[in-house]
Amino acid sequence: MQVSIKWLKHYIDFDWSAEELADKYTMAGVPVENVVRQDEGLDKVITGRIEEITAHPDSDHLQICQMNVGGKDRIQIITGAQNVKEGQVVPVAMVGAHLPNGAHIKKGKLRGLPSNGMLCSAGELHLDTTNLTEEQLNGIYILPEDTPVGVPVASVLGLDDAVLEFELTANRGDCFSVLGLVREIAVLTGNQPKWPVIQCKEDDEAKAAEMLSCGIDAPELCQRYTARVIKNVKIGPSPVWMQERLEGAGIRAINNVVDVTNYVMLELGQPMHAYDYDQITGHTLTARLAKAGENLHTLDDSDRVAKGTELVIADSEHPAGLAGIMGGLETEVTENTKTIVLEAASFNGPNIRRTSRACGLHTEASGRFERGVNVPDIPQALDRAAQLLQDMGACTVTQGIIDVYPELKAKVTIDYTADQINRRLGTALTAVQMNEILVKLGFDVQKLAGDKFRATVPNWRNDCTLMEDLSEEVARIYGLDNIKSTTPFGHVMQGQKSEKQVFVERIKHILVGLGMTEELSFSFTNTDMLDKLLVPADSKLRQAIPIMNPLTDEAPLVRTCLLTSIMENALRNFSRKNMDLKYFDVAPVFFPKQLPLTELPEERLELVGLITGRRETAGWNQGNENVDFYDMKGIVEELFLQLGLTRYTVEAGEHFALHPGKTALFKKGRDVLAAVGELHPQAAANFGVKQKFYLFTMDVATLMKYSGQQAKIESLPKYPAISRDLAMVVDTDTAAGEIERVIKKHGGNELKSITLFDVYTGAQVGEGKKSLAFNLQFQSKERTLKDEEADQAFQNILQAVEQQFAAELRS
Amino acid sequence: MAMEEKIEALKAQAAEAVRNAASTLSELDDIRVQFLGKKGEFTSILRGMGAVAKEDRPKIGKIVNEAKAQVEALIAEKNEELKARALEERLAQEKIDVTLPGRRQPLGHLHPLTLTLERIKDIFFRMGFSVEEGPEIERDYFNFEALNLPKDHPARDMQDSFYITDEILMRSQTSPVQARTMQKNEPNAPIRMIAPGRVYRRDEYDATHSPMFTQVEGLVIDEGISLGDLKGTLELFLHQIFNENVGVRFRPSFFPFTEPSAEVDISCVMCHGKGCKVCKGTGWLEILGAGMVHPHVLEMSGYDPKKVSGFAFGMGVERIAMLSYGVDDLRLFYDNDQRFLSQF
Repeated sequence: MQVSIKWLKHYIDFDWSAEELADKYTMAGVPVENVVRQDEGLDKVITGRIEEITAHPDSDHLQICQMNVGGKDRIQIITGAQNVKEGQVVPVAMVGAHLPNGAHIKKGKLRGLPSNGMLCSAGELHLDTTNLTEEQLNGIYILPEDTPVGVPVASVLGLDDAVLEFELTANRGDCFSVLGLVREIAVLTGNQPKWPVIQCKEDDEAKAAEMLSCGIDAPELCQRYTARVIKNVKIGPSPVWMQERLEGAGIRAINNVVDVTNYVMLELGQPMHAYDYDQITGHTLTARLAKAGENLHTLDDSDRVAKGTELVIADSEHPAGLAGIMGGLETEVTENTKTIVLEAASFNGPNIRRTSRACGLHTEASGRFERGVNVPDIPQALDRAAQLLQDMGACTVTQGIIDVYPELKAKVTIDYTADQINRRLGTALTAVQMNEILVKLGFDVQKLAGDKFRATVPNWRNDCTLMEDLSEEVARIYGLDNIKSTTPFGHVMQGQKSEKQVFVERIKHILVGLGMTEELSFSFTNTDMLDKLLVPADSKLRQAIPIMNPLTDEAPLVRTCLLTSIMENALRNFSRKNMDLKYFDVAPVFFPKQLPLTELPEERLELVGLITGRRETAGWNQGNENVDFYDMKGIVEELFLQLGLTRYTVEAGEHFALHPGKTALFKKGRDVLAAVGELHPQAAANFGVKQKFYLFTMDVATLMKYSGQQAKIESLPKYPAISRDLAMVVDTDTAAGEIERVIKKHGGNELKSITLFDVYTGAQVGEGKKSLAFNLQFQSKERTLKDEEADQAFQNILQAVEQQFAAELRS
Repeated sequence: MAMEEKIEALKAQAAEAVRNAASTLSELDDIRVQFLGKKGEFTSILRGMGAVAKEDRPKIGKIVNEAKAQVEALIAEKNEELKARALEERLAQEKIDVTLPGRRQPLGHLHPLTLTLERIKDIFFRMGFSVEEGPEIERDYFNFEALNLPKDHPARDMQDSFYITDEILMRSQTSPVQARTMQKNEPNAPIRMIAPGRVYRRDEYDATHSPMFTQVEGLVIDEGISLGDLKGTLELFLHQIFNENVGVRFRPSFFPFTEPSAEVDISCVMCHGKGCKVCKGTGWLEILGAGMVHPHVLEMSGYDPKKVSGFAFGMGVERIAMLSYGVDDLRLFYDNDQRFLSQF
């Protein structure tokens, strides 16, 4: 909705500037988005008379003008225009003007002579050029000779208006009309509006009801249908004042009939439509549901096949328009139209909204019906339109209106007390103050028994049904800024976070401590990413939920896997030459119980990590080495330690996205805590990366299930430890973890720690072999251990590893 | 030559040797051995005591021991001097360029939105708010209907949503957590909660819009909660998250789930209200939507609007992060560029 200040002032007086009014409106809950002034950029453009013209001595096209701009002294302006003559009055941009075309006028010299301003063309001032002569268009804009000198050109040209552009909220259908907006000003200023007198003379003998019959076949979609018939129509342009107001409201003038229907819609908020009576087959109009498959041929000359859910206004054969959205082409008013049916109705908002969305047709009319119109006062619109056309001498008006109104809309009343409203707002207003606001807004307030009041809601307000709604009216007019700020009293409450929230925060902080950076990624994915990541065809990760209306083809699915996101992010960083990355992401992934979805999907919180590139930041003494599998494994081990997650097993395993020979599974029984490994070389090739990536993926719920909440502290050892080294040669594919497990099993109760401190492969141990060296610490809590005891335990270990791994001991 | 003279001469010889000859610790040790060792020259004098008259022996012995002590002292002194010199040399040798950069073990970085969210949570946590959560793929019922937004309500245009089916969508706001929390509670039980989380809207990805963003919903329900309380609570919050001096204004607005409703603006943090590009010349920045919970919303979730009242609010975490860190393009948050994230 947009409207010019002049139009508003036609109905009510106020002293505010356009900007002040915009602010008042906004602070009263009728938001103005923009103020567009007609004189934008014309601040320092005034009228001036050319008193004398001389040729420029150093130029054959420049002329020197001595200008009278109302002051004592003439000013000199040099112009290149050729259409100027002595005695003419023209627009002069003075020094300091910022013209609408962006030009900034400064003192200057042209070919050596001073020039203190600029003579302007219509184009430079962004003037409406529709009615200008050829000469006015092509050169300096010549004003009438009797134009006063030294006055702002904006006032001479009548450019003192401004347009307010509203961004109205969905509840205030009443403000989609000039009179509605005037009413708000009346409340805010206390001034009395001059409401238009709506009255038409039924000056034609013919009776509307005999010429036309109307009906409603779908009463749930059409509350009221009214029509007037006007005859002897003379199609022509509408008066200039009407055209100007329409233009200010952003609506193009077409002809008197169309303009009047638009004008009434803007003025009263009631959309209207005009039909060519002679094109209505059977002279009957019925509001009914479209028949599925029926053709809808609308004013924009497009054909739509009806689904059967659209409300149409049909004659005896065809739909003559998409109700409340757009009229039909066949019954359009043309130059030859003689008799017209004016329609004003109320259609069901949700249905209009569905249809207009489905057709992609959002019109001034559909927007108003969606929000609801003033049903009891609909016939006013017919009278107003007929009156305006009559005033133009453009028609005669037949007797009576046709009004199909199956169910009278009941008056809405709201009972309240001042105390209720004060409690809701935290105010201490008197009933008198409140009622004054409500009465100004058009509510009829009646006193009931005790401290109770009853407000009857005015016809134009469809948004008020409850005491709470009245409290809003009081609050917005009283001013939210005038309400005192307090802090809530009531029950003392303790803030709480769930265990999961705390756990996730811990994970994030630990990983940051380990040098990892947190990323945030979109929850969307696509099949291509899953393909590249080698997700098997039968994997449940392929059961990603499709979005009905995705934003792009690249994001049609809801993700089932965070690895796709972290890879996408790494690739984006690579494209920006960030090659050393340590990232983690913790976010939900979504698994449907079945597709299409009938119940909410399972949301599992996944944690993934990615490292690639240098181990340390490059520097003079570091950063020559790249990360490897064990860096990533170390991060996971440290994370688990910090989370109090112990006594897990680590074994070689499989994960579709990881190198089959470089994948470790951290497990607790059958539950996988983490899969860690190198990105599968095939996946790396699919993503087009040469650098090695190491990834981990974990399910947060599983981690949480096993993590200890609080570290258990062991007292410090009182007795000395005994240290033994164990070095052995085994087959290359013997897992160190297995050996460690066996050592632990046979080491006895006093075996405190096992540290693998050396791994060697090479000539000295022979092909297919490797050497492993462990340091073992034996210690008792109760006493000083004897060497013999440690030796005994050591022997047990030796025996076991020799037997189980054919290990050859080295000394 | 008398014994005394011989000793005196030996002493002088030793002193001379220590003074001149010894320039390293091992040289000094050689001198010690030469004069004081088992086969040293003073020892041999003592061995030659047999030739001394018996009555003179104590006197000579004393003289020798005194001379020995003096020489020992000289050697010790020299020893200290040499050690100090050696340390000095070593220190000089070991000098390094301390202006070379250090070897760092850099920490990673929390995402700026996480940092901002932590600040927001902290502020509300101190005011006794709990942190609640809800599903991101949500029923239309919770996302809209239970919030007084029936199907085909024009206000649904305010949020173009991603739908999965006609009844299930990617939540377009964190407000459904309101209804879920109320329904989980005993009817009319007091509530003070915030619900942070990701939300989804069908908005093109540009400098100020994103199809996914982070919202924090808030809800307070108790007996006698008023619009004044809403103002006070949000002013308290805004003064903490921005600063004490930031201006706050409440503008009446419309949300289907609140009545009355307000948009909350803060004075522009860039130009302090003078008007600039960021605030589009108005001096104000829209930062929050809020209002008194609509009685229908309370009723639909089993609360009695005659007994309790409440207020709700919602804010975009990206917006707050952009203003507090001076980030001018929202996409920086989701591009996850290393160079950006490592600044936090």
